[in-house]
Amino acid sequence: MLDLLWNGLVNVAQWKYLVPLFAGTLIGVIGGSLPGVTITMTVIVVLPFTYGLDPLAGLAAMTGVYVGGSTGGLITCCLLGIPGSPASIATTFDGFPMARNGEPGRAIWLGVWASVWGGLLGALFLVFLTGPLAAIALEFGPWEYFSLFVLAMAMVAGLSESSLLKGLISTAIGLLITVVGHDPIGSVPRFTFGSQFIGDGFPFLPVLIGIFAFAQIMTDLEKLNSPREPAAESLVGVKLEHFSHLKVNLEIFRQPFLLGWATIVGLIIGILPAIGGSASSVMAYDQAKKFSRTPERFGTGHPEGIIASEASNNANVSGSLMTIMAFGIPGDAVTAVMLGAMTIHGIQSGPLFISQNPDIAYGIYAAYILAHPCMLLICFVLMPLMLRVTSVRMAVLAPVVLVLCVVGAYALNNTMHSVYVLLMFGVVGYVLVKLGFPLAPLILGLILGDQIEINLVRAIMTDANPWLFLTRPISGLLLLAAAGSVALAIWQHWRHQNRLAEEEPDF
Amino acid sequence: MSIGRDGIAGLILLAISLFLLVKSFQLPSLPIVPVGPGFYPAIVLSFMAVASALLVLQDLVKRRPAAVAGAGDAPQRNYRLVVIAFAIVGAYVGLLPLLGFRLATALFVGALQAALDRPRSARQWVVLAAIALGTTVVSYFVFERYLLVLLPRGIWTGF
Repeated sequence: MLDLLWNGLVNVAQWKYLVPLFAGTLIGVIGGSLPGVTITMTVIVVLPFTYGLDPLAGLAAMTGVYVGGSTGGLITCCLLGIPGSPASIATTFDGFPMARNGEPGRAIWLGVWASVWGGLLGALFLVFLTGPLAAIALEFGPWEYFSLFVLAMAMVAGLSESSLLKGLISTAIGLLITVVGHDPIGSVPRFTFGSQFIGDGFPFLPVLIGIFAFAQIMTDLEKLNSPREPAAESLVGVKLEHFSHLKVNLEIFRQPFLLGWATIVGLIIGILPAIGGSASSVMAYDQAKKFSRTPERFGTGHPEGIIASEASNNANVSGSLMTIMAFGIPGDAVTAVMLGAMTIHGIQSGPLFISQNPDIAYGIYAAYILAHPCMLLICFVLMPLMLRVTSVRMAVLAPVVLVLCVVGAYALNNTMHSVYVLLMFGVVGYVLVKLGFPLAPLILGLILGDQIEINLVRAIMTDANPWLFLTRPISGLLLLAAAGSVALAIWQHWRHQNRLAEEEPDF
Repeated sequence: MSIGRDGIAGLILLAISLFLLVKSFQLPSLPIVPVGPGFYPAIVLSFMAVASALLVLQDLVKRRPAAVAGAGDAPQRNYRLVVIAFAIVGAYVGLLPLLGFRLATALFVGALQAALDRPRSARQWVVLAAIALGTTVVSYFVFERYLLVLLPRGIWTGF
């Protein structure tokens, strides 16, 4: 295994891989630091550039975006007091107060170094645990896969902020989109109504780009030119104070338990499907506060808060990569785009991925590891620029991002069909967001829809007994966990409603 | 008992899922294969129909708070800008095959920038034009020349 990893590192250290990796990391850091631009949107913007590249070069660029974006957000947190990307949300709680207390350099670099060490610790798990996880997944039959996908969707729908019902409907819409077109077994056209436009179904990536990018950009545009809330004191353009990198690193390593635990929290959240970096950042922050000897200092510029949040969100990336490589399930929206890019290059992710594509698998590990020194170098060299980039206007960003979305859809098969699908689902995505439907379950349904159908039909074709889904131990456990996840979500919702009712004043 | 936004959304989704559910039953069955092409969609659509019906019910029984003083403090949303932006993107997508990538993209980037943040001085107009041209030139060269993606040519312009 270490030989393969070494080969992967040597391979990715070649210019043809290192340049896309570095460029991806740079774009990730910039995208992450732009308020309102998420890592998902940044990876969507980079996507069309990867079509013409070697598969590993393309995936290295995306891995770079993912790692860079997870760190880039902290700059905005510390300087503006708002998260540059959702993954950095908890960094704001202590990063901004520390920066306002006259230590912006210490705040930013504590975050950068914690990201590096959290990410590299996460890499250990990525390298050594993905294989065993894939080996477990290899034991799965169609029943277990079906149940695993159902569990993934139940968890995501259950975690919906708005309502469980809307999360479940959103999942169903995602699944429904995948059944339009020819059925995977007999190629019978379904719900096409004789239209050539939808005869072959909806291509995955234009739907994904449309739903995510448009929903986000249009929601940002709603707030443009409106009277703003009194903004917190911005520190954009501030000169960083003199500080010692050695001291910052010692500050991190004096708390090995904090660093290790935040990494593990991030990793576990990353492995769980579609929960995302924001949850890992907040959860690690919460854990750090609970375990801290000085919990009262959290929120006032306490270094522990920054270390926990940033170590966790970078370790989250390694967890997401583990899920996609071992099970073929995206850990979040960014890995969903990566999954789409793999499909374009004819690579099937899943338990056989590592054994069938060792060059690419170990190349991804290597790209993930090397992205951290790249990110560190970018932060060292370009920090003065990064301190200003947060002020780029949405009026400039939106058209450029939309052009790249259109090119990304068009370049898939050089037809306008994908662009029309992009626009159509852009409108759908925005309407759904305005109606309060969460998009994450829809995306997961969209990604897993085909696989769920194939595994369901395959299971029934192997043995028509439907009870096997429940009586096969792993499958039964997974379905039980899915039911438990939905039940937990209902209970939490009920408890929340009761609490609200109790708090309501009685006139 | 009055119906709200969620109720209306639920009703629309319920209608769509029931309509498609009926259609799924009309799909032909296949020999040899124990389940036909309509089997899986029927499961998804039944699930969606039940969830949509529950959403309607939930909305109907929900207590609606009366309009509260101070509700106007919520951040103002500029929906006009969103409609304009969608219209400009729609025009861009429509014009792409007619004008070609280069012309349509320069016009799109310029128009959307102007719509989102109207330039107030000659200098700002120059910056807007530079960004529009720069985006077009850079994306054209990167995609066509470096990544070998053939971008749309215009039927009207041949460009």
